[in-house]
This record gives sequence, structure tokens and C-alpha cells, in this order.
Amino acid sequence: MATLRTILRRLALLGVMLGGLVLITFTVSNVAPSDPAALAAGPDATRAMIETVRHEYGLDQSLPMQLARYVADLLRLRLGRSIQTGNQVADDLARFFPATMELVLLSMLFSVLAGVPMGLWAAVRRNSWFDHAMRALAVSGVALPAFWAALLLQLVFAVWLGWLPTSGQLSVATAPPDPITGMILLDALLRGQWAVFAEAARYAVLPAFVLALPSLAAIVRVNRAEMIEVLAADYVTAARAHGVAPRRVIGWLALRNAMLPTLAMIGLRFGWTLGSTVLVETVFDWPGIGLYAVNSAIASDFKPVMGVTLAVGVTFMLTNLLIDLAYGWLDPRTRSA
Amino acid sequence: MHRRDLLLGGLAGAAGLLPALAPAPAAAFERVGDRRTLVFSGGQPVPVLDPHVRYDWSTRMMQQCIYDALCKYEGDPPKVVPWLAERWETSADGLTWTFHLVANAKFHNGDPVDAEAVRYSFQRALKLNKGVAWMLSAHLDPDGIAAVDARTVRITLKSSYGAFLSFMPLWYIVNPKQLAGSDDYGQKFLTEGDAGSGPFRIKRWDPQAVMALDAVADYWKGWPMAEADRPAGVIYRIIREPAPRKAALQRGEIDIATELSPDDYDQLAKAAGIVVESHTGMTPFTIQMNTQKGVTADLNMRKALAYAFDYEALIQIENGAAKLMDSPFPNAMAGHVAIKDIPRRDLDKAREFLARTAHPKGGFELEYLYVAGLEVERRIGLAVLESLRALDIKVNITAQPWPTLVARGAKAETAADMVAVYVTPVSTDPDVIASQYTSAAEGLFWGMHHLRDQQINDMVAAARLETDLARRMAGYAAIQQRIVDLQPAIFGMLEDRKWALRSYVKGFEFCPVRLTGEADLYTLYAAKA
Repeated sequence: MATLRTILRRLALLGVMLGGLVLITFTVSNVAPSDPAALAAGPDATRAMIETVRHEYGLDQSLPMQLARYVADLLRLRLGRSIQTGNQVADDLARFFPATMELVLLSMLFSVLAGVPMGLWAAVRRNSWFDHAMRALAVSGVALPAFWAALLLQLVFAVWLGWLPTSGQLSVATAPPDPITGMILLDALLRGQWAVFAEAARYAVLPAFVLALPSLAAIVRVNRAEMIEVLAADYVTAARAHGVAPRRVIGWLALRNAMLPTLAMIGLRFGWTLGSTVLVETVFDWPGIGLYAVNSAIASDFKPVMGVTLAVGVTFMLTNLLIDLAYGWLDPRTRSA
Repeated sequence: MHRRDLLLGGLAGAAGLLPALAPAPAAAFERVGDRRTLVFSGGQPVPVLDPHVRYDWSTRMMQQCIYDALCKYEGDPPKVVPWLAERWETSADGLTWTFHLVANAKFHNGDPVDAEAVRYSFQRALKLNKGVAWMLSAHLDPDGIAAVDARTVRITLKSSYGAFLSFMPLWYIVNPKQLAGSDDYGQKFLTEGDAGSGPFRIKRWDPQAVMALDAVADYWKGWPMAEADRPAGVIYRIIREPAPRKAALQRGEIDIATELSPDDYDQLAKAAGIVVESHTGMTPFTIQMNTQKGVTADLNMRKALAYAFDYEALIQIENGAAKLMDSPFPNAMAGHVAIKDIPRRDLDKAREFLARTAHPKGGFELEYLYVAGLEVERRIGLAVLESLRALDIKVNITAQPWPTLVARGAKAETAADMVAVYVTPVSTDPDVIASQYTSAAEGLFWGMHHLRDQQINDMVAAARLETDLARRMAGYAAIQQRIVDLQPAIFGMLEDRKWALRSYVKGFEFCPVRLTGEADLYTLYAAKA
């Protein structure tokens, strides 16, 4: 019952936050010093042509009226039309979002599966060469700008070594599998198209790794710090004194308690990673919502940018809700909080 | 064995396995059976394919693949050659144009390309009032197009228009039968759909990543290469950033790359298996000066700046792959004449003109504005800064995104003192460039100089209506001189247009009137070894 109340309270809060997000993105989009209608009409357009576009997209109305129409559209789960393509933004998002989710999930999977054991081992082998190496990884993972790391890895693994492709999601000659989820890797797996799966995996390695780097670094550092603290706790000492096997002490008792802040970190990183796709998708030409947002922003096509912002915001909020629920599962004391 | 040894052994094993991940050497080109598909890459997406709604270089390149027009630009210098129209004639007063269509042209679905399709396409473009409409909207009403018979179209203009024919290669013909029943003239369908008769048809369309086209084997116009060399298709792959695009070419993932930096092209030209096509372009680079506000409102100041600028720096920045402008019109444009007294660096003259201004000793600041992210424009800004130091004029170099830059330039009050601009003319007719210096252009991105000169307005209007070619060209010669006299811009350079190609790519044909990175994919093929 308490859990249900928490969920309902958080969902109500989510609605308020979404309202704020809409207001902010709408305001920011409309104070930008550019004329979307003029850009959409083309460089040679006459003033009459620009006005045609402006009228077609309702940009000749007052800002409060435009906001009211936008909110009315949102309530009908519509996100307006792209002034560049005329497409419904919701349709475009449905088309491009799976590619982004695929990349984000892969990078998060890698960050967690590698970061947690690496943090754990660095804590257990404190001040060893492994611990120092992890520290170096953590610093560089956070400090390296994503676009620079991306270009560097492309140069090494695609150009010099020729092991991996430079960019894209699939070879231009390979037809993607018929969509089930829209995620090429998953769809290839579900349809048993192993060759496509292998090829898609090779294309995903570099962008997923670059996207994962900062999260990996953060998870390693947080997990290491928490493990060190937990390993020094009385109850761990007591467990050891009672002869509980070291593997069980570290791998279950200590790790489970150390995972609470790590879990919160994973939730935060998920949202951050979703936002970071803008850079990574641009360098790797990954056809997701990040690239869609960049292409739209360059053309001052604000409805798609607002749509992407909302999609990222909602995903971020929902992820955090799920993390909070997981928190309650790991630590029952937090359930009624 | 210690755990540490195990760990190290595991790492070594993993490292040893890494090469197994390595793909087979990248295919030099994609194959479909015994035919080859070339992969062309640029950084610009193609959000809308509709030929009457939008055009820019990448969009037009794809439109040219899928659609045909009555005529087409070919060659260097560019010429308008017959395409869907096998011939045409015009009345003595220049008001009526009659086009006679070829008999064998057909759309991809098998429907014939007839006069009705031409009438519908022109009317559609004019009624939508987007994309190409500006070219004819002032001179042609939608009911001015008539299908005389199945193979004859008559277009009656409201007023004679010397540039009319030069725009015909950009007015593509769509199949009205495929758009019948649509309440938006088929705009939704044509955003990514195909209603054309061109040499390629759409196979796969992902507007953010890949556009794959299949060659139409029995294309009504035939193919320019030997049958055995005819490609299976062509792919336009979007790689936004120049560095990975260059890397993809080196790796053989793509066959043709454009939109690289001058240094990249120089490096690639030295690489084995890659050739660089470099041709004098038709895109003037100018530094427009605000003629209405600030110190540059004074003609003497604009002359001083134009004489102080180090033009040779432009050539150096382009690694020699550019030509200085000798007129406001590019060389390949009809009616181009070299203006003898177009400014070149002459500091004595610059000081002479400066002495006639309100700031005879300099000692003030100017803003040089360029498009954020364009490295060449940034480096030109440094050349401006260095050049004007000789007149004791300080230059503030600022970068802004394209939309902001254009919005600022829309009004003389907010326009920068100097702004770097490339303008690619869409046709070879001189009216396209001349009109950029009329009051009608004020506030558009090529009119950020805000020049207001009634004499130029009158001269351009008269030349536009003139039907006698010799008199018309004489008019444009005078217009070029007048523009240079008023110096609304520092007339910079014509940058070479470049493409880097794998050496097996044959059939490349340059035509300067195409837009920046655009190439004619119809003529390209991969030579068999």
C-alpha cells in the first residue's frame, strides 16, 4: 500500500515537472533569435513564401496562443509537426527512439556489468596496481570529452586497425530486420538473423563504449568508495568473525549494501546517458533521437527539439521512479519514506 | 596458478581474440549480383525529397536521381540541354514558351510522362508556393500552363523573363496519377516517396542515415556508360562529421566523399587509390558590409576596407584551390565580365579612402561575423583582422549559428559590420546574382549588406525584361560595374569544389551550376578491374 502511494505521489510530481519542462522548452525555443519559417522556406524564398510557411505552422499566432495549442496537442499525445519535414514529431520519435534506446541500454549494460565488479575488486585490492588503474580509468572516463574520445577510437579501431566500422548502425548494403522493437540488435536476435546481429553488434561497439565511458567511471568510483566503507563496517567484521565465507561476505553482504548509492548513480547516469546521445550519435551517425535533435536544432525546427527534450525528460523521470522502487526492495527501511 | 596470473592470462587471451573481431577487408563498393553500387557520402541530410518543396545540395542530388525535368544542366561551362523536352521554342516577345516532350519517357510505375504531368507539376509547385516557386511566381500564374496535346506544353508568362529557361532544370516532373486523391498535393507521400521518372528509384529511405536507390535498368533516356558498367544503384550515406567521413573513404566504406576541409583533400590526394576532383566553383565568397549602419555606411570606408584586405590570404587558406573574384558575378555565369578596377590590396589607396571618412586615422572597432563551425570562414576572419591592423582598425571576430546570423542580418539595425557569406546561384542566369544587390534582397541572407540603390534596382528590372540577348548582357555588364562602384561587399573568391573518389570511380562530370557538394550520380560507375 505504501509502495502504491509512493508511485502515485511520484506520478503526480512527474506531471508537475513535465508541465515545467514544457514551459521551459517552449520559452527557450521561442526566445532563440532565429526565424524557423524563413529557414524552412529556403534561402531563396520570397517574403510571401515565408509567410505561407509561417501561416501553415501557426507561427503567425501570438506566443500564448501557440503555447495553448501546443499543450492541447500534448494532452492528445501529439507533439506538433516538424517545420522541416511536415511529419508529426511523435511519428518521428517513434521511428528514431528505438535506436537511441538500443545504444543507451547497451552502454548502461556495459557500464554496470563492468563497473560494479571493477569497483568491487578495486576496493578489495585497495592501493594495488588494479586500484590505481581503475582510478586512472575513472579520471579519464569523466575528463575525456565524448566527441574527442569518439574520434580517437574511430581513428584507432576503424582507420588504423580496421577492426570496426567508422559509423552508422548497419552496413549500407544490409537490410535491417523487420521491426519488432525497432532495435536492430534485438530484432535480429528475435528473428534469428545471426549475420545481421553480428554486423549490428560490430557497429554498436564503439558508440556504446564511448557513451558508457563516463558512466563506467562514475560507477567504478562510487562502488569502490561504498565497498571500502561497507567492508569496514561492524556487521561485516562480525560476519567474518562468524566464519562466513569471504566470497559471500564480499559478493553478497557487502555488495548488496554498497549497491544502494550505486543504484541511485545508475539511475542518474541513465538520464545523463540519454542526453549524451546527442554528441555520440552525431559523431557515429547513429540514427536516433540525438541526431534527430541536432538536425532539427540546426534548422531551428523547434517542435522536434521540444519533443526530444520531453521524451528524454519523461524517460529520465520514469527511470528514477523505478530506481526508487528498487531502492525500497534493497533497503526496506526506505519503503515508507 | 595464482589468481593474478589467471587474470593476466585472461586479459592476454582476450587481446589475442580481438583480431578475430576484425571484419573482412571493407568492400571497395557494394555489389548486387555482378553489378556494383557506389556509395556517396556527405554531411547534409535529406529531410524532404519533394521536388517542389525543398532544395539544397543533398536534396537536389537525390531529386536529380529520382526525377526528370524538361531540361538539364550539363558541362563546364554549363549548358541547358534537352531532357524530357526534346526541343522548345519561344515567341518573339518572350512571353510564350512551347516545349515538345520526348515520346518514350515513362514514370517508374510505367505511366507515360505526358504534357498533363508537366502541367500538373508546374501548377503544383506554384500553388504550394514553396521550394522552387520563387523562381517563376512573379512571372507565371498557375493557369498559364496548358497541355496542348499529349506531347506539347505551352507556358505563357505574365511578363517576359530572360532567366526563365535557366530555371527549367530545377522544375521536376511528378506523376499526378500517384498523387490523385491527396488533400495536400501529395506532400506527405512525396516527403519520402517516389513519383518520378529519373534514372533511379527508391530502395531504402532513412532520412537520417542512408538513402539507397536502385538503378532503373530500362531508364527511358538510357545510360551513359557501357551496359556492363551500368551500376546496380547508388547510396547516399550521411556522415555528419568530416573526420569520420574521411576515415570511411580511406577504409573503403564509401566511394565518394565531399564536404571535407582543404587540408583533408590535400592529404587524400596523396593517398593510394584515391583521386581528388577539383574544379573552379560558382559560389562567390564575399564579406558583406552593412551599407546602412555604422562606419561601413560610408562608401569611402567600404572602399578603404576593400583595398586594405589581403586577398592572397584567401588563396593560401584554400591551399591554392580557389580563384579570386574579378566581378560580383562568378566566372561561369552568363554575362560575366572582369571589372578592371575591382579592389586588390593597395594600402596607399586604402589610406586615401580612409582619409575621406570620419575616422581618417582609424582607431575604431568592427565586427566580423561568420557561421559558427566553418573553419575556413574563421581563418578568413583572422586575415581580415591582420589586414585591417594596417589601418589601425580593430576587428572583433564573432561566430554565431547560421539561424542566428541570418536573423541578425534581417535588419540593418542588427546586422554586423561585416559578415562572411557564401551564396551559390541556382542557375547560370545573371539575374540570380544581380537581384541580390537590389532592395528586394534586403534582409535575406545574401542581402545582409542592405544596399539601397535605385539605379541598381532599375538596371536589374530592365535587364530582367530585355529579350534581346546582346542588350541584356550589356545591361548586366553595367550592373557589375555599378555593384563594384558601390562596394557593398569585399568580393573574395570562388572556392574550388572538391570531391574525393576511390580511383575506380569513373564517369565524374563536373558542372559548376550544381549546388556545392552535389554531383550527377547518373554518370558515375565503378570500373571493373
